[in-house]
Amino acid sequence: MASKSNIARFIIILLALGFLYLPIATLIVYSFNESKMVTIWTGFSFKWYVALFNNSQIIHAVGISLLVAFLTACASVVIGTLAAFVLVRVRKFKGESAFVLFMTAPMILPEVITGLALLLLFVTLGDFIPLFSDRGVFAIWIAHVTFCSAYTTVVVRSRFRELDISIEEAAMDLGAGPIKVFFAIILPAIMPAEVAAFLLSFTMSMDDLVITSFIAGPDSTTLPMVVFSSVRRGLSPEINALATIIVLIVSIFTFFAWLSMVRKQKRMAADAAKAKKATKLEEQGTLYNHQ
Amino acid sequence: MSMGFSANMSFIRRAFRKSKPKVISVSTHQNTWRDYALILVPYLWMILFFLLPFLIIFKISLSVTQIAIPPYSPIVTFEEGAMQIILHLENYTNIFTDPEGTYWRSYLKSIEVAFFSTFFCLIIGYPLAWALATSKPAIRNVVFMLIIMPSWTSFVVRIYAWMTIMKKDGLINDLLIHFGIIDSPITMLQTDFAVYVGIVYCYLPYMVLPLFSALMKVDYSLIEAAYDLGCKPVKTFFTTLVPQTKSGIVAGSMLVFIPALGEYVIPELLGGKGSILIGRVLWQEFFNNRDWPLASAVAITMLLILTIPIIWFYKIERKEQEGAYGK
Amino acid sequence: MEKTPLNTAKGTDKTINKVQHRPGDLPGQKPSPAEQNRRPILEIKKLNKTFETFKAVDDVDLTLYEGEIFALLGSSGCGKSTLLRMLAGFEKPSSGSILLDGKEIIGVPPYKRPVNMMFQSYALFPYMTVKQNIAFGLKQDKIPKAELEERVEKMLKLVHMENYVDRKPYQLSGGQKQRVALARSLAKEPRVLLLDEPMGALDKKLREQMRLELVDIINAVGVTCLMVTHDQEEAMTMADRIAIMDRGEFIQIGGPREIYENPNCRFCAEFIGSVNIFDCTLLSSNKQHSLIKANDFNNNIELEHDIDLADGMPLTIAIRPEKIYISKEDPQQDTNICEGVVENIAYLGDISIYYVRLLSGRLISATLPNVDRFKQGLPTWDDKVYLSWDPESCIALTI
Repeated sequence: MASKSNIARFIIILLALGFLYLPIATLIVYSFNESKMVTIWTGFSFKWYVALFNNSQIIHAVGISLLVAFLTACASVVIGTLAAFVLVRVRKFKGESAFVLFMTAPMILPEVITGLALLLLFVTLGDFIPLFSDRGVFAIWIAHVTFCSAYTTVVVRSRFRELDISIEEAAMDLGAGPIKVFFAIILPAIMPAEVAAFLLSFTMSMDDLVITSFIAGPDSTTLPMVVFSSVRRGLSPEINALATIIVLIVSIFTFFAWLSMVRKQKRMAADAAKAKKATKLEEQGTLYNHQ
Repeated sequence: MSMGFSANMSFIRRAFRKSKPKVISVSTHQNTWRDYALILVPYLWMILFFLLPFLIIFKISLSVTQIAIPPYSPIVTFEEGAMQIILHLENYTNIFTDPEGTYWRSYLKSIEVAFFSTFFCLIIGYPLAWALATSKPAIRNVVFMLIIMPSWTSFVVRIYAWMTIMKKDGLINDLLIHFGIIDSPITMLQTDFAVYVGIVYCYLPYMVLPLFSALMKVDYSLIEAAYDLGCKPVKTFFTTLVPQTKSGIVAGSMLVFIPALGEYVIPELLGGKGSILIGRVLWQEFFNNRDWPLASAVAITMLLILTIPIIWFYKIERKEQEGAYGK
Repeated sequence: MEKTPLNTAKGTDKTINKVQHRPGDLPGQKPSPAEQNRRPILEIKKLNKTFETFKAVDDVDLTLYEGEIFALLGSSGCGKSTLLRMLAGFEKPSSGSILLDGKEIIGVPPYKRPVNMMFQSYALFPYMTVKQNIAFGLKQDKIPKAELEERVEKMLKLVHMENYVDRKPYQLSGGQKQRVALARSLAKEPRVLLLDEPMGALDKKLREQMRLELVDIINAVGVTCLMVTHDQEEAMTMADRIAIMDRGEFIQIGGPREIYENPNCRFCAEFIGSVNIFDCTLLSSNKQHSLIKANDFNNNIELEHDIDLADGMPLTIAIRPEKIYISKEDPQQDTNICEGVVENIAYLGDISIYYVRLLSGRLISATLPNVDRFKQGLPTWDDKVYLSWDPESCIALTI
């Protein structure tokens, strides 16, 4: 019985991973194909990587995307942390449910709607503030921060909720003011969530196509936009090369995330073992030297 | 595209935490001016960049297109010192009375595609979530990472990958011909089939994660009890497992359905000329026809259609949060 | 640290053994702080706290004297924690005043109050070592490094944690965590130490051990201490004085012995320990003698003091189970006796509890210490037994 469900589990997981990784694997394999015909294998070659790095349009777009993603991640982590703090630590206030709605709606609304809405806002605001009307990096940044903050809020909030408020009270009780409490007690505790939120909003900003297409003017084309227009024109082996690089970077990060998770579990197990030993000695009455 | 991702992150957290934190002190402190200052930053940001835009969309949906900058008629005009407000409802009437029926047909088509995509995600995602939730923790962690990892890579690139696979001379046709299953290549690209594959591929993780988190919390002794009392497997599944994972099913379905309804990129790249979904219509009205008011009206109508699923999703989310943390 | 312990006087109270068996004068009871001429350190006056419509703390007055350990005892939701949190500064009182050394501290933020708290969950900083935890409060005061090291060292020694300085909270046993939490809250030499359910997170066996050690440490430091607990044993072993709290009000304040032997109302009698309560009527009362009719049995109850009540008025008599003698033979007395049938016996090892059904249908509990390992002839199930007690065992309660 147990082995039957084990086999079922194994097959299900294998099929799912096959479905998820087959397309990615083909991309990677064909990125080393010499032929321009994406799907016919003619020989091993790095030429599409060379072509990729010589494609000034893509390199330029990568630059813009990285800049926007970095700025977005920084700002949305700050806003997300503030929002999470407000949602978890501040007592009920007027308009709290509206606040929750605003903070989470960008996550589930179709992107065409959010993109259109933001563009029309920028056009309207452009009448008063020229910075919005040129639809450059600044406008894209604002748009990205708006939808990324929703995600960072959720990530930070779920960590925040697990914090024991009495630890903060203890710090305050021992003479630390609110600002000191935040930086010395709260921040170290939510740091993993902050890092996760940063990486999440970085990748989402890097990856966003639809919202950015609405916002971006002709001079500020981001990487997904370049990829999209090139894919729309037909298959291009350079994109395979780009995909391989992206997958490589993401796998490295995933690997380290997994590694740190494993390490953390090991550390926790070691800590728990130490505590257990101490508890045992305590029960025997031999833990403290005075006894 | 990465809609609902971190809604899922919170699901993950909840699922992975072995037990509730022991001490949950509910904050009882009084709000001070400092708290309100803190509220103000994110609140103002969201009002300015999220609420205001929707009011503007609504406003523009009530005007008509004209060749100007910006390309729509003003609602409020001043003529000889008198303020005039002109509201145009043409855009909305257009959507429903357009002789070719482009608009309402594409709404229906979108609902159909979103519905079936959600259904496919559910029947693929449920067994996967079950397999994940019931495996050993070490395996679970690795497989879990592997399931999410693709969603961290570029979205367009993943769709592109399917294009290369499903082409006439792509991998699937090659394999099928090689093994003699078919004689001539089948057309897969630019069909509804391709759109479904694309949507299921991209949205599957968002279905799996809430289901997984719900399945982690299931009291499996109920299943044993049902078996013990002579319940057959299928009936046991529907009487014990499904009710216990209802929140995961609803949350996962909404996380797929809502964004899938407005999906633009997947039908654009994988779908045929015939699969005109509403996201594509909005895009074309906006970018190709430069009819901003009509595009706005399309967006507002889409929002109205989505109200019910969105409210449903929030209700489930709220229940989950309250159940988990008791605020 | 090296202050003279003020609370050494366990049993130095011979002076008050004036009259035996009179309410208010109990042998083995420490003299009250006022009798010791101690200086009041914390004065709470007319303190109120209302949450929306719920009165958590209702017009409370309390004076804490230098060096005493005071326990707030009550079931959950009685307002004791709210009171403690108001003293620490985490809750703002709705009205009233809190004077610390004569100075008003309402409005002073928690980080500026010379009061420290040990939390129920200990609330140790998880990312800091034992040493860093203890040093945290001193660092906030910008104490020079050499002095800080010395004071931390002293605290570590006090709680016997010198060998675990570099451990993190997750690596400690429950008792060790408590020691660190205590050292951390004592490090700043607070004027008043607040303990929130100090043993709440320990298991039963360790709890009993730690009670006395905690008292020793607190007494060695000489700090005034206010603790909150729902565990009466804990309050009785640790505290010099106890306040029983219910629905935001103080019901009785007194030494452990006083509140047990002399509860001032039915609530207190039932709250502390177990008790048999009888509804009665006063037949007659004079200076030496009161005669009472209980509704549940025929023989009268006789007390050797007066009751300030008109004859014929209803009152309640409370008798603790351990003060009831149980015997198979009739002890031949006219008053303070009733008879019944043993319905159940709970053998607890040290004592046995007999549940005796009276003729009226009332169930009475009486305990019998198991002094002799193999004693024969004890009453058993369905035996007819006589329950009797001394006149001074009865507590007459009018409310």
